[in-house]
Amino acid sequence: MKKAATLALGILTSVGGFFDVGNLATAAQAGGVFRLQLLWPLLLGTLLVIFLVEMSGRFAAVTRQALPDAIRTHLGFATWLVPFLVLSLVHFLVLGAEIGGICFALHLVTGLPTPVWALPVAALVWLFLWRASFSAIENSTSLLGLLTLAFVVAAWQHRPPTGQILAGMLPTLPHHDPARYWFIAVSLLGAVISPYMFYFYSSGAVEDKWDDSYIGVNRGVSVIGMGFGSLISVGAIVVAAVVLAPRGIQVDDYHQAALMLTTAFPFWGFVLFAASMAIACLGAATEVALSMAYATAQTYGWNWGEDLDPREDARFCLMYTGAILGSALLILFGVDPLKLTLLTMAVNAAVLPFVAIPFLLLMNDRKLLKEHRNGWISNTVTLVVVVLSIVLAIVSIPLLIQGGS
Amino acid sequence: MPRQKENGKGIPDELELARDILDQQVVDREETKMGRVDGLVLELREGRPPRIDHIEMGAVVLARRLSPRLERWVDGWRRRFGVRKVARYKAPWSDVQELTSYHLKLDVGALDTPTFDWERWLRDHVIQHIPRPLKGNGEEGEKKE
Repeated sequence: MKKAATLALGILTSVGGFFDVGNLATAAQAGGVFRLQLLWPLLLGTLLVIFLVEMSGRFAAVTRQALPDAIRTHLGFATWLVPFLVLSLVHFLVLGAEIGGICFALHLVTGLPTPVWALPVAALVWLFLWRASFSAIENSTSLLGLLTLAFVVAAWQHRPPTGQILAGMLPTLPHHDPARYWFIAVSLLGAVISPYMFYFYSSGAVEDKWDDSYIGVNRGVSVIGMGFGSLISVGAIVVAAVVLAPRGIQVDDYHQAALMLTTAFPFWGFVLFAASMAIACLGAATEVALSMAYATAQTYGWNWGEDLDPREDARFCLMYTGAILGSALLILFGVDPLKLTLLTMAVNAAVLPFVAIPFLLLMNDRKLLKEHRNGWISNTVTLVVVVLSIVLAIVSIPLLIQGGS
Repeated sequence: MPRQKENGKGIPDELELARDILDQQVVDREETKMGRVDGLVLELREGRPPRIDHIEMGAVVLARRLSPRLERWVDGWRRRFGVRKVARYKAPWSDVQELTSYHLKLDVGALDTPTFDWERWLRDHVIQHIPRPLKGNGEEGEKKE
């Protein structure tokens, strides 16, 4: 009975927690510029992320170890150092983008400039982490995050052409702006397969004291939760394609994206957009900040846990405090949240090899996982991720320069 | 890989040093996480297999694994700004109580070792001055009060 409740809650939280600033920005751009043609990177990303999330949960349940912990333990400090530093830097940017998203939502509602909100928002995110326990944070932000289902409802109301949706699910070559097309495709993938998710998910499984008996729950949560979660991104692309594209709005600015829900919900659309954005970004910001603290504490073996009194894990708490403050400075000093988000999502995709390769090594460790190690399907999918991510890493850097502007 | 036979303590009979011990999470007898096995020191013995003398913990030890120059640099920083009095915490192998796939348990209290110098300093100088949160002060916190 407890397992069924865990499963239901897990599915709800991963649906609610799926959507963040990266998904919003990339979906708005994809729909605004290429209508329904870029649904396929989203689908591909979702399929891959389901496998990766399932693996990180299974790994944590069987070994009682979160990923950064296990990588340092089993692959050694020297192997882990470079990926750890690179991913920390990327997470710093992601956190900045999420904080920027909350600040922009507040700007939409209040009219005050976005940078003004940087420090109050940082304080809010910090206070949340400082005071609340792990399950309180995860459950409250993710359940509120179900508000982002507004995009699915809006997409439904617009009655999009089914034929075009199905056509968009197959990869096709662009009719115009090839650099921009591939840049957005890469960013969509980076937004769906965010590296921080695996640290967060596996550390969360350890915080929740998962054991072998949670393998089924884990599978259900990752397949159903992530699967339905990605529907929100599909919804956002559809809405952008129906509402923004015909008006020639290409979303160079979050203000343009804010119009997305106003056709489906004439009166509430604007507020609904701001609220969805703020909540989705708040949830993600807490997750990214925690992931950074988890990864650092686990790398150095410090005491860690969101349910501990901060006096028992001072270094862990100061780690997320510093991360939040530092990332908020990006927004305070006037970095454009949308540009930061799009850049970060492409970088996310470029650093995927650092996530995928250790994954492949650990998930096949007979001594660690015994009968729960990867089968050929999971291995094939991870190999696809490894190869794809290396290709993306090579491709996305010139695209960053060409198509990012 | 050297293998070693151990006594009846919670230590497996066959170990691979780099794989099973180096970089392993170290916990104290209360299972508080206190750091990682940053270095291993072996004793070479005439005519007998080498054996582990002690494990080492500390940023300086980690830095040494990357390069001796980095080690000197990190140690310089520690001397100037560090809270830790000694660069390396050395735990004799005889203190090891248990070794599993996810931790190495030492028969010590983390708070009494230099590995917690920073943790203690931050708690007394920073955390102490911020109002306490609601969590964590259930059964765990009560004990400490």
